[in-house]
Amino acid sequence: MNRLSKAAIITNLVKSLRENGSWAGETHIQKSIYLLQEVLGRDLGLDFILYKHGPFSFDLRDELTALRADGLLDLEPQEIPYGPRLSPTTRADQLQKRFPKTIGEHSDAIKEIGHRLGHRGVSALERLATAVYVSQKNPGVTREARIQALTEIKPHIRPELASKAVVEAEEWLSTHREK
Amino acid sequence: MTKNIHELRDPIHAFVRLTTDERKVLDSKPFQRLRHIHQLALTYLVYPGATHRRFEHSLGVMELAGRVYDIVTRRENLEYLPREAFSLLSDLSDNMKLEYWRRVLRMAALCHDLGHLPFSHAAERRLLPEGRTHENLTALLVRSPEMASIWSDMKINSEDVVKLALGPKDLPTVSFSALETILSEIVVGDAFGVDRIDYLLRDSLHLGVAYGRFDHFRLIDTLRILPSPPQSEQDEADSDDEIELALGVEEGGMQSAEALLLARYFMFSQVYFHPIRRIYDIHLSDFLTAWWGKNGYPFTTQEHLSLTDSEVMVMMRKAQNDPGAAGHEDARRILERMHFKLIYSRNPADTALNPEAGDQVYVTLRREFGAESFRHDRYTQKAGLPNFPVLLRDDSTTSSLAISETLQRLPVVSVDSVYADPGVRDKAKRWLDKNRGSILQPATEERHDESAI
Repeated sequence: MNRLSKAAIITNLVKSLRENGSWAGETHIQKSIYLLQEVLGRDLGLDFILYKHGPFSFDLRDELTALRADGLLDLEPQEIPYGPRLSPTTRADQLQKRFPKTIGEHSDAIKEIGHRLGHRGVSALERLATAVYVSQKNPGVTREARIQALTEIKPHIRPELASKAVVEAEEWLSTHREK
Repeated sequence: MTKNIHELRDPIHAFVRLTTDERKVLDSKPFQRLRHIHQLALTYLVYPGATHRRFEHSLGVMELAGRVYDIVTRRENLEYLPREAFSLLSDLSDNMKLEYWRRVLRMAALCHDLGHLPFSHAAERRLLPEGRTHENLTALLVRSPEMASIWSDMKINSEDVVKLALGPKDLPTVSFSALETILSEIVVGDAFGVDRIDYLLRDSLHLGVAYGRFDHFRLIDTLRILPSPPQSEQDEADSDDEIELALGVEEGGMQSAEALLLARYFMFSQVYFHPIRRIYDIHLSDFLTAWWGKNGYPFTTQEHLSLTDSEVMVMMRKAQNDPGAAGHEDARRILERMHFKLIYSRNPADTALNPEAGDQVYVTLRREFGAESFRHDRYTQKAGLPNFPVLLRDDSTTSSLAISETLQRLPVVSVDSVYADPGVRDKAKRWLDKNRGSILQPATEERHDESAI
């Protein structure tokens, strides 16, 4: 995928997150794009590793910086002690309009991410994204083994929340595999 | 009495001190090779003072890593951490382990650049096999048989050195503990990595460019391991939130942190992205790609150790004098200082119209005047937001971006330049000025796909 098509998708996804109530900080965007790529199969060519707050892409971090450099994303500082939010600019809206085929092709997936994840905070996104990561890395293992793997990676996650995240990941992944 | 501490004079840090064991690393072949790798490739053709090498930079990074470690692990400087955080850093309560990680950290800092190719970064992306980086070569050298006996004498696990020297970004399949993540941040971290602190200060001194200077003494004194602040109100309310530790700064050190990030901005815009420096990198990369042919850079430790800037200069001189040699044209352009000239550079109006404006200009000029007469350089500074935890005077933490207007406004440096052969440059420039309006068009799906082809 070429760079401007990717820029149109990322900025459109940030817009969708914000319309659905997301804080849209860097971590919210990282997890949402991970899930767009891994669950909904929209390959943006980004490599993710397990890092702070679960799956994280250094390539995406650099791309978000490049989008700020190009005036496609703005930084919105917040009051103490919170981290900044990111918002798509008017220029990003114009870019999306000039990439109708790309946006059209991915709009259902972007809307799904916005609806499903927009209201969630970093902890909830971390649980779900890490549960998906564990499921992708351990295909064919039992649900219990995946819950255990999740709590081993992220010991602060309470078992009942880990279990809920693994079940959600399983269901969401299987819905899209069937499609 | 045998001396166990060895001192080296250094223009930035006054003295760099090593133990006898650490000196064995300094004396090793992989480390001595760095005496012959210029820190800033061919930058000395633009800034004559830029003749310093990776050797002294690596010593400086080791010195700073030790200083930062001593500050952030001091007992009174860990008091602000919540109780849950102590379990993540339990090694720091054990004196043996505390000393072990200090040794490992200093050695990781000393060895972090071992894998650099001749002339540092200039040609790395094109010369190494897909997916390989100089960091992979660093790891190979740290694990090499020559180094194994040194690590064994020092009772150091070489894998720990690799982890801290490279960090999670370059070891995507390796798992890092919270302490290892913080220690690797001390070496190669985005905000306060000592690699960056040393290269800004050292490059600034050697080049005679004052922009890179800042109060690093104050900065280091105020560095702390801190819990990341909540990202939003919702996250603050979520009791399940993980304690993520990061390298941050006390409120009193905020101005020196801002000065570091401003120094980085100015050094990138004035030095690292200087257009003539960049075109020399491109000619060098073209030369090395032609010289080594399709096999690329030899990716073995023995061959790597035998190649430095000196060998490349000999190759380049041979190619300069032999019109039939691979890379002859680029060797001449470098050694006879006949580099391509800037014909187009990024500006806000063009970027607003099309973020990839330089690509449109480049593609059009190649069609009109021939592919060989132009080079395109597109690069944006690699970094995340300048967002790190700050310890406030009431012992709470906040995001740096919530309290610093300077950091909120810090620009990102990005280049999008087109260079032309001096033989066609003036004609092409006149043509470009005349046709600029029709060449620069808003980016559209069709046009972008076409230029990508």
